Amino acid sequence: MKKLATTLAAAGAMLAMAPAAPVYAQEPIKIGVVTPLSGSYASIGRTVRWGFELAAEEINSAGGINGRKLVLLFEDEEANPAVAVQKAERLLQVEKVDFLTGTVNSASTLAVGLLGERNNRLVSTTVSYADSITGDRCSPNVFRFNARAEQQSVALAAWLKKEKPQAKLYLVGPDYEMGRSTVAAFKRSAESVNIKSIGEIFAPLDSKDYSQYFGQIRSARPDVIYTSTAGNDTVRLLTQMQEFNMLRNVLVIGAAGAITGQNIKALGKAAEGFVTGIGYSAQIDTPENKKFVAAFNAKFKEDPDLFAADSYGMLYAYKAAAEKAGSTDTDKMREALRNLTWMTPQGQKTIRAGDHQAMSPMFAVRIENGQFKIVSTIPAAEAIGPDVCTRF
Amino acid sequence: MIDADYLQFILAPQVINGLVLGVAIVLVALGLTIIFGLLDVINMSHGEFYAIGAFGALALASVGLNFWVILVLVPILMIPLAVLVERLLISRVFSTKDRHVTTLLLTFGLALIAEDVLKIIFGPNTHRPDTPISGATEIFGIIIPNYRMFLIGIGSLIIGAVAYTVYGTRLGAMVRAAAYDRNMAASLGVPVRLVYTGAFAFGVALAGIAGALLAPLYSVFPTMGRDFILLAFTVVIVGGMGSIWGALVAGLVLSQVQALASLFIPPVWTEPIVFATMIVFLMFRPQGLFGKIGHA
Repeated sequence: MKKLATTLAAAGAMLAMAPAAPVYAQEPIKIGVVTPLSGSYASIGRTVRWGFELAAEEINSAGGINGRKLVLLFEDEEANPAVAVQKAERLLQVEKVDFLTGTVNSASTLAVGLLGERNNRLVSTTVSYADSITGDRCSPNVFRFNARAEQQSVALAAWLKKEKPQAKLYLVGPDYEMGRSTVAAFKRSAESVNIKSIGEIFAPLDSKDYSQYFGQIRSARPDVIYTSTAGNDTVRLLTQMQEFNMLRNVLVIGAAGAITGQNIKALGKAAEGFVTGIGYSAQIDTPENKKFVAAFNAKFKEDPDLFAADSYGMLYAYKAAAEKAGSTDTDKMREALRNLTWMTPQGQKTIRAGDHQAMSPMFAVRIENGQFKIVSTIPAAEAIGPDVCTRF
Repeated sequence: MIDADYLQFILAPQVINGLVLGVAIVLVALGLTIIFGLLDVINMSHGEFYAIGAFGALALASVGLNFWVILVLVPILMIPLAVLVERLLISRVFSTKDRHVTTLLLTFGLALIAEDVLKIIFGPNTHRPDTPISGATEIFGIIIPNYRMFLIGIGSLIIGAVAYTVYGTRLGAMVRAAAYDRNMAASLGVPVRLVYTGAFAFGVALAGIAGALLAPLYSVFPTMGRDFILLAFTVVIVGGMGSIWGALVAGLVLSQVQALASLFIPPVWTEPIVFATMIVFLMFRPQGLFGKIGHA
C-alpha cells in the first residue's frame, strides 16, 4: 500500500515537472497523412512529414485547435494510388481521422479524393501538381494548398511581361510528353499576356549536340529562350549556346526542373541569369518565413523546401478554418475553408471557393553566382489562372 | 528558298556542325574499326573506354593539370588498362570456336561493369571541364566556336597520323600482314601476339583521346559511353568493318546526312535515317564501302 502511494506521488511529481503542456479536455483532432515514406518519392515524403510535424508541434504547444490536441497519423502510400487508397481507407475506418492529406503522386490524390467523397471527409494535397485535381477532375471534398503546374508558368510569364514586355520568345523542349506539354503550357501563358512566341523546337531526349538547332534559333532572332529540358540535356543545351556566343544577348528562362542541384555545377557560368517560376524559396525575406526557416533548421538541420513549406502552411489553414467553423464537421469545415485567407511562410494565401485551389504568391528566381535569388514576387491573383472547375 | 539568311544562319553552320560531329564520330570509330579489322573482335566496351578517357581528363584536370598535358597523358594512361583487358580477358576467349559471340558478350559485360564503376567513383551527376579554348570566330557572319575549329584541326591530324602509321610505316605493314594472314605473318617473324595487344591498346587509346577532346563539348557522365557507340558501329559497318578510309568517309557522310536532314524533318527522325542506312548496307553490301584492313 505504501509502495503504491510512493508510485502515485512519483507519478504526480513527474506530471507536475512535465513542461507546461496544456491539458486537453476533449478528444484530439486526428489528421491522417498518407505520404510516400519509402521508394523514389521518399525524399519528398520526408519533407512533407517534417513540415506537418513542425506545424503540429507549434499548434499543440499554443493550446491546440478549439482546445483540442492535434494528432498526426502517418501511413506510407509508396507513391502508388492503390496503396494510398488502402491506407487512407484504414485511416478513415479504423482510426476515424477527421481529415486526410499528404498524397504526393497526383493519381493518389485523385483516388483518395474519391474515397473522401464516399466517406464524407475532406481531403487535401500539399504537393501534387497536376492541373486536373482542381480543374476538370475537381471535387467538393478536395482542397489543394500548393501551387499547381499552371501557376508556375503563369508566374514566369507575368515576370517576363514586366521585365521584357516586347520579348520575342523561342521555346525549346525535349521531344516527349512532358517536354511538349510544358512548352505548350508556357506558350499559352505567355500569349495570354501578349508575349509573342516566334518559334519552337523539340530536340530528342539525350541529344548530343544542340548546335544543329542554333541556326534555326538564330535566324528567328529571339531575345528570350524558354527551355523545359532537364538534367544533362540542359547542361548540353546551355553550354553549347555559350560556346556559340548565343547567351550574350538572350535571356534564358525555363521550367522549374530545368536547372536543379543535380546539374547546376556542371553548367557553371552557363547557368548564370537563368530565371524560373516557383512557389517557395527559403530566401523569402518576411518575418513569417524567417521564423519558419529558423525553427525548421533547428529541428531538422536543413533548409525547408517547397513541400515542407506548403505542408506546414496547410495545418495552419486547417486551424484557422476549424476555429472559424467552431467544429471539425465536414460541411462546416468546407464552408470555412472556402475563401479562407491565412498566413503561410510564402505570405498570405487564399482558398478560391470555385475550385478549392490555394491562391498563393509565386516567385521568379534567378541564378546569381550559382545561387537561386528571388528577383520578383508575383501576387497570388496574377498567377492563379482561370477557374475551370464546373462540379460545384 | 535559298536566301542569304538561310545560307548564313542555317545551311553553312549546319555543314560545319556536321563536320565537327563527323570528326568526333570518326575518332571514336577509328579505334573500333582497327580492333575489329585486326583482332576480329567486336568491342562493345569501346564506348566505355571513351567515357573512361573523358573521366580521366576530368580527374587530371581536378588535380590542376594543364589541358595539353592531359591530352597527352590520357592516351598513355589508357594503354596499361587496355593491355590488361586484352591479356587477361580477351586473349583467353580469343581462340574459342565462336569468337565473335564470346568476345562480344565479354566486352559487353565489361561495358556494364565499367559504367557502374564510373558511377560509384564519380557519382551519377553530370560534370563538365571548362573549354580550354574559349571564344568564337565569325567568318562571313557564320559563328564558329574556336574550340570546335581546333577540334576539326586536331581530329584531322590524328586521323592522318593513324592512316600514315597503318599504311605508310614498317610497323603498319606488320599490322596489316598480321591482319591478312596470322599464321603466315607469324612464320615470317612478325610477333603476332604483341601486334594484337598493341593494336588493341592503340584502339583504346584513340577512344580515350576522343573522350578527353569531346568532354568540354558534350559533358561527362557515367552513361556517356552509350552516346556514340551506336553511331560509331554504324559508321564502321557502312564504311567496311576494319577499313580506316571507310570509317572516315562513312563518318563524314553520315554526320552530314544527320545534320542536313534535321533541317527538313523532325530531329528525332535523323537517327532512324542513319540506322536505316546501316540496315540497307547490311542487307545489300555487308562488306561495306571499303574492304577490310590488310585486304585492300
